[in-house]
Amino acid sequence: MTGDGKQNPQPQAAAATAMTFEVLKAAIRDAPTAARLGRLAIAARRTVDTPNYFAITSRGVVPHVTPDNLAKHLSDVGGTYMALEDFIERPQQYLKRPAPILQTPSSEFPCSPALGPRPPLHIFTAMPPSVITVLAARRLPAVPAPMGNTNSSVSVFTSTGFQVLTTREYADAVSALRPDIAVPMADLTDKALTPTSKRATRMAERTDDWVKEWFAQLDASNSSDHPGVATFAPVLPVGFPMQWEYLERLSEDYVSASTTNQEEEEGETTRKDHLAGLALYDADVIPDLEDAYPNLTPLPRLSLANPTTPHHVLRQIALGVDVFALPFINMVSDAGVALTFTFPPPPPPNSDPSVSRPPILPLGIDMSSPTAGLATDTGPLLAGCACYACARHHRAYVHHLLAAREMLGWTLLQAHNHGVASAFFAGVRAALRAGPAAYDAACRAFAAAYEPEFPAGTGERPRARGYQYAGGAGEPKRNKPAWGKLGGPEDDDVAAVEQKKPRGGKTKNSNGAIGTGNAGADIVDDSLAAAVEAVDLQEAGASPAAEMDGTASAQASI
Amino acid sequence: MWAARRMASTMSASSAALTFELVAKCSTTRARASILTLPHGPVNLPIFMPVATQASLKGITPEQLENTRCRLCLNNTYHLGLKPGQEVMDAVGGAHKLQGWDHNILTDSGGFQMVSLLKLATITEEGVRFLSPHDGTPMLLTPEHSISLQNSIGSDIIMQLDDVLVTTSPDIVRMREAMERSVRWLDRCIAAHKHPDRQNLFCIIQGGLDLDMRRECCREMVARDTPGIAIGGLSGGEAKDDFCRVVAACTEQLPDLKPRYVMGIGYPEDLVVSVALGADMFDCVWPTRTARFGNAITRNGVLNLKREMYATDFGPLEDDCGCPCCRPVEQEGAMGITRAFVHHNAAKETVAAHLLTIHNVWYQLNLMREARDAIIADRYPAFVREFFSRLYPDGHGFPSWAIDALRGVGIDLLET
Repeated sequence: MTGDGKQNPQPQAAAATAMTFEVLKAAIRDAPTAARLGRLAIAARRTVDTPNYFAITSRGVVPHVTPDNLAKHLSDVGGTYMALEDFIERPQQYLKRPAPILQTPSSEFPCSPALGPRPPLHIFTAMPPSVITVLAARRLPAVPAPMGNTNSSVSVFTSTGFQVLTTREYADAVSALRPDIAVPMADLTDKALTPTSKRATRMAERTDDWVKEWFAQLDASNSSDHPGVATFAPVLPVGFPMQWEYLERLSEDYVSASTTNQEEEEGETTRKDHLAGLALYDADVIPDLEDAYPNLTPLPRLSLANPTTPHHVLRQIALGVDVFALPFINMVSDAGVALTFTFPPPPPPNSDPSVSRPPILPLGIDMSSPTAGLATDTGPLLAGCACYACARHHRAYVHHLLAAREMLGWTLLQAHNHGVASAFFAGVRAALRAGPAAYDAACRAFAAAYEPEFPAGTGERPRARGYQYAGGAGEPKRNKPAWGKLGGPEDDDVAAVEQKKPRGGKTKNSNGAIGTGNAGADIVDDSLAAAVEAVDLQEAGASPAAEMDGTASAQASI
Repeated sequence: MWAARRMASTMSASSAALTFELVAKCSTTRARASILTLPHGPVNLPIFMPVATQASLKGITPEQLENTRCRLCLNNTYHLGLKPGQEVMDAVGGAHKLQGWDHNILTDSGGFQMVSLLKLATITEEGVRFLSPHDGTPMLLTPEHSISLQNSIGSDIIMQLDDVLVTTSPDIVRMREAMERSVRWLDRCIAAHKHPDRQNLFCIIQGGLDLDMRRECCREMVARDTPGIAIGGLSGGEAKDDFCRVVAACTEQLPDLKPRYVMGIGYPEDLVVSVALGADMFDCVWPTRTARFGNAITRNGVLNLKREMYATDFGPLEDDCGCPCCRPVEQEGAMGITRAFVHHNAAKETVAAHLLTIHNVWYQLNLMREARDAIIADRYPAFVREFFSRLYPDGHGFPSWAIDALRGVGIDLLET
């Protein structure tokens, strides 16, 4: 990625969607790989060299990473993936209110000429101006909905439960929020099982209808003068024969006939009613696409196919994916694992060919491991890593933070793991520049050098939230209870907390609950220290609290 | 004004690892502005010190803490003694190295946690006996052990182990025993302290709410000439009137050229009043904990951002706030966070807690900066009146404890 954030100002006439994608080094026919080098540029955002990845957000934030840290210390993250379902919950008391995010003012906020206009989505989520936003209807991976989709809506999962999102509402939200890239709604099952052919056909038919509708509506709403949104049409996770009619329409109706000549056609390709890219829920369709519809080939391909390891990422790059939305990074950080892979892999320490095979390297280390000597290891998480966590901190600190369940542990792991992922893609691009043969060799070396899976993290994770997981019947609880019953007066507190709601402006702090049992219990149960909303009695004891007017009520907030 | 100018000629005192320089004194109240130079650099007093209990300020990076202009924060000996433990602390080379913090650290003695967190702590002349929270085995925290732990931690200011008792305890005999024992334990702490050249041991004045006992304790403690002096045992549920009386009684007795630390104080009103009573240093977990509950501290009071009214409030957390969250995104290092965004993520994503933590710490530190500027300009009484009039904009409802305490040092809040 070219990190300096400078790009040529787009000519006014071409600013309709203001996105360009340039294939710098196309895949060579019959080469061992269809991997290609490219450059994705969006006006006022940092240019993204591809292959690359975008970070997944939860409720508009990269988990554990504040916007200042995202801009400063994850500066190689060129884009973020957001889900509309993270913003449209309907609290019981306010069922009728429009989603607050849709009321984000844009005119009140002065747009500095240097940064360009800030879209409402950027404003609401305080996303750094240099970062590209991708908006889709559902999180990645999405929680499967118990009720299916209809001909004009999908089921989405918000923090207040499942609800229906119509294609119309979604398109309206996209028009209002103006993400840089939007993925029109697709009819997906969000299940691991391959849909039946009947279901697959309907998926394609519905998605086809919805995309038609999408362009019609965007066209109407974009008549005003604000910049449009780059549309990345969904490619479904079903076989090519099931969706070829839909894909053919994309090729025939929404892509200019001759987009291969970038220089001349730039103004044309960026026309707002045109397809700007493809969002692939399955990368295996790419070879068929290339054969059947060559005019889709110059479009950037965003993989939403959730590759679970870097090995899967490499496989999809070889199929021709340009940009990934990568859920595994956040998941690995939450598991307390620090990634340790590089591309290409380090040369084997022993070049003696008589030694049969070098040891297989792990993809990451479990930073919670009590046996790995991490507690006193003041070395970086990964030797030679340039990330913020490795530059400023060391293994012993991250290990301590995880053991103490301090939230900073996950923040530092996010900085590191995103840094490793960025470096991995930079390595991929460098190898691709060196030529397909060199790239193929590096891929082979990577596959041989590293274990197939991430190590399991043994540490306790951050509290799981309803919008991340829908619990099934009879499923065990995901979060350790913050309180146990010890008997005594604190049981009342627990009951009060379960009923929730200390409301009102000024809150009283719990002051260490001198002499009561729950404080003593909670120092044993460390799970509590990091839960955002849990009563943090460890800290309560950390110093005398300031409360002086008597009541020492344990309190929680939810 | 005359008094302030006289102070400008600067009076200072040094001990082995600390210099205290009195820059200005308020001509009306007992408020003081000073510079405390510690092994990891100077800090301006009065100061609020945020609490990084387990070597981490609740989710924000040391760099973000630095960006709030914090140069002195707390760690807790008790917690660091358990995790990562003294051995690790020695191997890593102390708390500064562990957390990547090149500025000052203050550690408490661990005594407070013994009584606040542990059910079965018993205090004897030898030390505090308690059951290990890990495996339930009996353990003993002595003054010597506490100092040894703090020596390993390497904090710039270390606290003596004291015999902490709830201030509201009616048992006057036990209260006297605790006070006298704290003095004896100070002697043991001084004897056990291995690094007086780079770590400053502060004594802690005890004596409950009994002013005579407090004064007696002051005399004993001052005689031992520690580099700084803390007023302890407060903020344990006593009435604020009593709290103010104790602070006033102590500061009256304390030497000018030593920093005065009132432990466990954190509400903005308490800080402003305590400064008027002559205290210099404060710490409390409230600003950071309340942040995790979704509360933002502002000049106009505490806002609970989880309330529905903030769902579509697209203004900054506080107007004209200089913190990295509130300043508009166009400015260097600023984020342009709105109340609506924090509402959206409060109690759902840790980032909301981090943002409020940054804002609240900034607010507390900035409040003390403004207080200091006011003291130096010798307009602290006006500052105090302005502060309270913002919190109580309709001009009445001032807390009576604050009216009384401030009247005692020459400020009439009710004066129009």
